[in-house]
Amino acid sequence: MVEETPLKINDIDRNAVEEALKLKGGDRAYAVSVLKWPPLQRRVQEAENLLREALAMGLDEAYLVADEGLLGADQAATAKAIAAVVKKVGADLVLAAEASIDNYTGEVPPRVAAELGWPLLTYVREMKAEGGKVVAKRDLEDSVEVVEVQPPAVISVTREINQPRIPTLLAIRAAMKKPVNKLGLAELGLRPEPRAELAELRPVVIQRKRVIIKDGTPEEKADKLLQYLRQEGVI
Amino acid sequence: MKALVVYPNKEALYAASTIGEYAALAVGDAELKAAEGAPVVYLIKGDPRDLGLRASAVLQTAKEYDVIVIPSHKDSKTLGGYVAQRLGAPFATDVISIKPEGGKLTVERYVFGNKAVAVLRLSVPAVLSIAPGKFMGEPPRAQSKVVELSPQAAQLFRISGVEPKASGGVKIEEAEIIVSAGRGFKKKEDLALAFDLAKAFGGQVGCSRPIAADLKWLSEDHWVGLSGHKVRPKLYLAIGISGQPQHIAGILDSRIIAAINSDPSAPIFQYADYGVVEDLYKIVPILIKKVGELRR
Repeated sequence: MVEETPLKINDIDRNAVEEALKLKGGDRAYAVSVLKWPPLQRRVQEAENLLREALAMGLDEAYLVADEGLLGADQAATAKAIAAVVKKVGADLVLAAEASIDNYTGEVPPRVAAELGWPLLTYVREMKAEGGKVVAKRDLEDSVEVVEVQPPAVISVTREINQPRIPTLLAIRAAMKKPVNKLGLAELGLRPEPRAELAELRPVVIQRKRVIIKDGTPEEKADKLLQYLRQEGVI
Repeated sequence: MKALVVYPNKEALYAASTIGEYAALAVGDAELKAAEGAPVVYLIKGDPRDLGLRASAVLQTAKEYDVIVIPSHKDSKTLGGYVAQRLGAPFATDVISIKPEGGKLTVERYVFGNKAVAVLRLSVPAVLSIAPGKFMGEPPRAQSKVVELSPQAAQLFRISGVEPKASGGVKIEEAEIIVSAGRGFKKKEDLALAFDLAKAFGGQVGCSRPIAADLKWLSEDHWVGLSGHKVRPKLYLAIGISGQPQHIAGILDSRIIAAINSDPSAPIFQYADYGVVEDLYKIVPILIKKVGELRR
């Protein structure tokens, strides 16, 4: 089933792209993506199309790291590949989503920072560049930290940081001409690593009763609902 | 196997104790107190918010341990990813079970927006963050041996201030009954209906993402969902919530889910035990009255 599921851009990545576009000024801004899902051939085409969405928003150039050795690899390998591309293009700021919305682990930005040996800010909901520094607000569970770093740095952002732009038709057409560079591990000087061993993947069976109350007056429906909830012993 | 607990709390200490011999790493006095009972406690004097300091301390001690166990919150996950990369270790977040087996660790975690459970076999060293509410046992208590460390801190960032978050004074994760409000509510004032019903039930008010993050009608401590709070009440009553996957992922552990929505095709009904197709403005006032009478 996983193989048939189409890829999509992580929603929060759009916020990271938007923030990069605000900051980039006259500099170049790149997209980098590491392909992890088989089958390689078909996915490369899919991933390229998705990267063109980020180019249409306004990024200048994209890198796609695609290699059999990365399919199903764990996030340590992802981080190494991203770090290698960052060094290759000479970027001094890495912007990422706080997490991907499918698994929500948020581990890749800290891993990339560790790999590069750079400062790290996660869960940033507000940031500005100020005299060579980045001043930001980190959105934690019970508090907001006001923090600063001196780039180079890795920064992960939340959905609240901005409203991502929607590309115009003209921008979408222009993006077709922007470069999408495809690289394998060897071209980045990396080797395949041991894979995370996925022993089993089983669907969560949701055993909900799905009783629908749709007939009668609002009063009758209210009575019905409360009767069920009493039978369940929850009220 | 040997486990090291960072950001010690009772659940993480218990989880570590099921793996084998264990120790805790505490930054500051509050964490030292929380680690009480662990056989060995490494104590670092400094700011508990300083992730660079904590990461350095973990890396200094980690080589003696096979597994690093942390709770699941934003700072701990940031730390987890960072030290995992330095250690060349896998990092499994929000694990719901842990079993050491033949020199490896078998863990389970929800994936794909909680639509599936993945069983992972991890080599050690490994970093694990544990899902709340899944490791509720009593950790064995020992006379703690406290070892002070003063690591060379790698600075990750400088903290110039801390602002408290606007709070509705709610601990939604701990609520037994949650009345949760979504975009079906037309204006902020109308949320009084949700609060009145929650009060009648003796419960708390939750909400979906748009209410907290976009409209800011409620503070974020009310926000239920994958990027808000994951909840496990005995009754979750979703009112005017359509049921986006990320909201559903935050309520899966609820014992009973009930939903009120005027749209019979709202996805929330697929995930509910009891679904009422009705205009919330008509039925909620009736429920407030009836629940109030029931409980009298």
